This record gives sequence, C-alpha cells and structure tokens, in this order.
Amino acid sequence: MHTKQVSLGDRYAEIAVILVTAIALLLGWFYKSSIENASLPFNASGVTAEAPSGWLQPQPSGNELFRAVDINSGGFGTTYIISKITIADDVPALEVASIVALAHAQDLLAFRVLNQQEVQVYGRTAYELSYVFVESNPDLTHSELPKVVRGTDYIFVNAGEAVVVSYQADEKNYDLDLNRFLLFLKSIKF
Amino acid sequence: MAESDARLHERKHFWRDELLLIISMVAFVVVVYALDNALDPVFTPSTLLFAGVLLALVPAGIWLVFFNLQDRAEPEPKGYVLGIFVLGALLAAAIGIPVVESLFRVSHWAYTSTVATILGGILVVGFTQEFLKYAAVRYSIYHTDEFDEPTDGVIYATAAGLGYATVLNIQFVVSNGGVDLGSGVIRMAVVALAQAAFSGITGYFLGRAKFESEPIWWMPLGITLAAVFNGLFNWLQGIVIQPTVTLSGSTNNAWIGLVLATIVALITTGALLWLVRRNIKHLQTTE
Repeated sequence: MHTKQVSLGDRYAEIAVILVTAIALLLGWFYKSSIENASLPFNASGVTAEAPSGWLQPQPSGNELFRAVDINSGGFGTTYIISKITIADDVPALEVASIVALAHAQDLLAFRVLNQQEVQVYGRTAYELSYVFVESNPDLTHSELPKVVRGTDYIFVNAGEAVVVSYQADEKNYDLDLNRFLLFLKSIKF
Repeated sequence: MAESDARLHERKHFWRDELLLIISMVAFVVVVYALDNALDPVFTPSTLLFAGVLLALVPAGIWLVFFNLQDRAEPEPKGYVLGIFVLGALLAAAIGIPVVESLFRVSHWAYTSTVATILGGILVVGFTQEFLKYAAVRYSIYHTDEFDEPTDGVIYATAAGLGYATVLNIQFVVSNGGVDLGSGVIRMAVVALAQAAFSGITGYFLGRAKFESEPIWWMPLGITLAAVFNGLFNWLQGIVIQPTVTLSGSTNNAWIGLVLATIVALITTGALLWLVRRNIKHLQTTE
C-alpha cells in the first residue's frame, strides 16, 4: 500500500472538517446545557428557588414544600426535594440530622448513612447527610431489578425551623447530575 | 491517462449490490419476523443475548457477501474493505458511543422537545457519527493507491458505516440483555440501512475531494449534509414508530420505521448514483 503525500489544499480541507465538527459539537454542548439548566421560579412558605424546567413536579405532601423529578433520567429519576421542619429554638443541626435520618430509615428500603458533616454551602452553614437506599417498585408484577439510589440532604437550621434540601439520584447518575443540583442549591433563598 | 480512466469508472456492480443490500435487508427482516412468529422460540437469557448479537452481525454480513461477489468483476482489496469496516466499528465503540451516551448524555435531554430532538440529532449524534465514519476512511485508505476512483469513497465509507451500525446494534442488544427477535431485527435493519446511506453521502464527497480540485468547504459540506440527514431521519423515525394507543390496545409501528429507512436508503443510493453519473458525464465532456 503506497501512501501519497498530502497536498496543502487537502490539509486545509481536513482542518476545515475538524473545525466544523468541533463547532457543531460545541454548539450541541451549549444547547444541551441550556436545556439542562433551564429553570422556573418557585416560591412557597418563604422559600424561593429556581426549579428545573421540564421536570415532573408532584403535589408535595407533609413537610415537603417542593418535589421535582427528572423523568428523563435513566433508572431512578433524579429528585430534588425541599422540606421545612418546625423545631425548638435551641435544637442543634446534628439533632435535626438524626431526626431526618430516622425518617428516611422508616420510609426508604435498605437505608444507610454514608457520611455526615458540617459544611459551608454558598456562605451558609449547613449539615450534610449522605446516604444510600434501594428503590424497588412495589408492584410485584414488575420484573426489574431494584435500583441503588444515592442521596444527600443539606440541613439548614434557622430560628425555630429547619430547611432540608435533598438530592437523590441513581448511583450511576449521581455524579453526572450533581452540578445541576448545585445550581439549584445555589438558587435557594429563605 | 490511467487516472483519468479510473475517474470515469462508474462501477455498475457496486450500485447493483447497494440495491441488493437494501432488498436483502428487508427480506431478512421479513424472514426473521415470520420465523419468530411461527416458531415462537423460547430463549434463556444467554441464548437470547447470543441470538441478538448474531442478528446484529447479519446486515454487515449480507453486504460483505454481495461485495465479495461483485469484487470478482471489479477487484477491490477485500482486506482493506474489511479493515475499514472494523475501523468504523472500533471508532463507534471507543469514541462514538461514549461521546453521545456518556459525555453528551443525549438520551437525557434530546427528547424533551422536537427542536431538541432535531438539534441534538444533528449537532451531537449526526456530527459525531459522520465525522468518525469520515475519519475511518480519511486517515487510513484515502491517501493510498488503493483509493483510485471516486466511487471508492462510497464503498469504503459504506463499509465504515456498516461497522458503526454493527456496534450500535450490538450495544443495543447487550444493554437490553437481548432483544425481542421480531422488533429487534427491524431496528437492526433500520440502523444498518440508515448508517450505510448517510456514510454513502460522506463517501461521495470524499471521492470527489480526492480526484477533483474541490474548494475548501467541499468536505465540511459533505459531513454537514450527512449529519443533517442523519439527525432529521432519527427525528422522523421517532415520530413514525410511536406506538398507536387505542381502547383495544396499542399497535407497534416498527414496520413503518423500516419502510422509512428503506425509502431513505433507496433515495440516497439513487441520488448518489445520479451524482456519480453526472460527474462522469461532466468529466467526459471536459477531457
């Protein structure tokens, strides 16, 4: 097999193809980001946020103010939840975290706490609770494997109330969807 | 003079085989679908996976058989054609699928609206696939003596496209742990026909780029056209195969998808043949 020398015109054409492809992919990336980061304003009980656009928003119940589920996620639908809990004035964040963890243990299958620590979230002190659980379809006719879900709660304690912001995602999507959640977390005001 | 002759060579056998490939693909689907319905075979998970992977290899196998038959009349190094097929498959597995599925996560956002489906299909899926099929030819056989006539562009790009399609089909089978033979075989034929048709467009532009002094925008135009057709086809395919839900149940429209893919493949092959003939006539009058 003999290889011919590449002419200058060929070289320019080759560079042009790479450039056009790179520009198309870059435009595709910007478009993807614009869809994934699109948001709608949310406001309830003194809590405001920029909620993801196009996500399913079921009617919140109990302490929940807001719940949004990404129905396009593979496996367990990535979920954001904002809850508000009334607490005594002197209850520390650690104690609220224990209450939240206990509630999760009652509601979620195979719930395990992975880590908990005090963190700074966009200039605000919060308590971070990382956990894992298994989501299994209660319909016994569904022949599908249960999904492993990772979650993180950020607990903000403020004058007799605690705002809990939860992020739950399929373990395969957790890291991929985290940046979108951080945008949401940053937008929350109360 | 020899180079001039090569450029004026239409390679009738190749075009006949393209047509036979399309017809055989449809016949293959009909046979597998009928056998699946008649015999209603029972598979274990592993045999279902194995059967799915075998079916995924059939479209490329059919093409290679026809190519081998015609090759006796108009020799083209089989090893290189097979090599480009493997290269297309490797590029799909190593770059194409990871870029589309993991980096861009197309399935996560591209089906949220019609505009997103079209733009995602063109800008991300179309350009990624068409660039990789172009690269499989451009950075291997293109500058060798074996690429000695414009139609070689279509031949080698089709081989790359079928390699790409084979990996897409195998990935579909493996990620689903096997497929229903009836609907699975339709999907495989659709993917193979579409990938072969769109890579044919890229191949036509590659062939002319090598043997005629085309402007700098020629090849980018070829890739862009192939990517646009690729994206539009996927969008249209998504519309036509949507199941029809009625009070008496739902209807699977996968067959309409196959009809669409067959029409697209026939039109593309016809258009490429017409373009090649027109080009030959033009060269004959100018030389």
